[in-house]
Amino acid sequence: MQSKRIRLWDLPTRLFHWILALAVAASVASGQVGGNWMEWHGRIGLLVVGLLTFRIVWGLVGSTYARFAQFFPTPGKIKAYLRGEWRGEGHNPLGALAVFGLLGLLTVQVTTGLFANDDIAFTGPLSDLLTKGLSNQLTGIHHLLTNALYVLVALHVAAIMFYAHAKKQNLVRPMVTGWKEDGEGESARGGGFVALVVALLVAVAVVYGASGAWLPPLPTPAAVETPDF
Amino acid sequence: MKKQLALAALALAVAGTASAQMKPEDAIKYRQSAYGAMGWSMARIKMNVEGTFNKEDVIKSANVIQAIANSGMGSLYLPGTDKGTGWEATRAKPEIWTEKEKLGKAATAFNKEANEMAKVAATGDAAAVKAQFGKLGETCKGCHDDFKAKN
Repeated sequence: MQSKRIRLWDLPTRLFHWILALAVAASVASGQVGGNWMEWHGRIGLLVVGLLTFRIVWGLVGSTYARFAQFFPTPGKIKAYLRGEWRGEGHNPLGALAVFGLLGLLTVQVTTGLFANDDIAFTGPLSDLLTKGLSNQLTGIHHLLTNALYVLVALHVAAIMFYAHAKKQNLVRPMVTGWKEDGEGESARGGGFVALVVALLVAVAVVYGASGAWLPPLPTPAAVETPDF
Repeated sequence: MKKQLALAALALAVAGTASAQMKPEDAIKYRQSAYGAMGWSMARIKMNVEGTFNKEDVIKSANVIQAIANSGMGSLYLPGTDKGTGWEATRAKPEIWTEKEKLGKAATAFNKEANEMAKVAATGDAAAVKAQFGKLGETCKGCHDDFKAKN
């Protein structure tokens, strides 16, 4: 097939990717420092909730190469790829494993984070819904999985460098511009305005739920009558 | 007179033994209670920083943290109390007894910021209190990260 310039990643997918990359870096940094940065850790966590929700919906209604069904890594596809027989555009089967791995891991991270506490002065916005013991357990998972996150991100970046140097394929540029210069497939289609609005609305709704803004307020000691001692 | 002295000596000896002995369960309880009181104090400072700032409340809380930080809580970490139950199962990690130097550094950092917290609270400067509260929290984390089991 003759190679040509094709439209690979739509703008929402690219924005999602780069904002998520920044958000993950910022959440790791703020979580490691702690203290007053935990406020930002919480805010960034809610941003990541929104980003992941958006991406999941976009994986169903977005444009061609953003759809999960397009790149879902079946064992057959992975075997073919490892034998060098896989042909296609978008995420290759191994890359797809990394995509699902990262999305899945980050989903667990933000979910456990919403219910976590640091035994200092910060609690996840939904931690009041659980017992302290359960919140502690989820906090343990939240901390432990940070290591898995480092490994997956390192693999992700290493794979991109491997493609750049060993296979002479620049994977970063299409993720910036959206265009692939020597494509062999069709340009991405679908993922129009309505799909975008739907994905954004679902994301906003889930962030609202995750923020705990709907929880009944707790009593404020300063605002209620308490014994004078 | 001799009798009185002997009695006094006996009383001292009894008191001496009593104060040197502590049930491991109690040691763990005291630890947990002290951290609980500090948790309340941190929460109250946070409430004041985020809501209406009440200088007196912040001073009270900062003083509680300072007093506990300087109370010599290390003496409650009796050998073998990395296991056991006070109000709940202890979350003290065995590293407390093996990585003494690292622990010492973390504890010293916490003491320093706790003393500073009390000083800053006395000024009644809300912005400075917030900043110091953050620094203090970072030193709490200094111990939690390495010496407190997550669950």
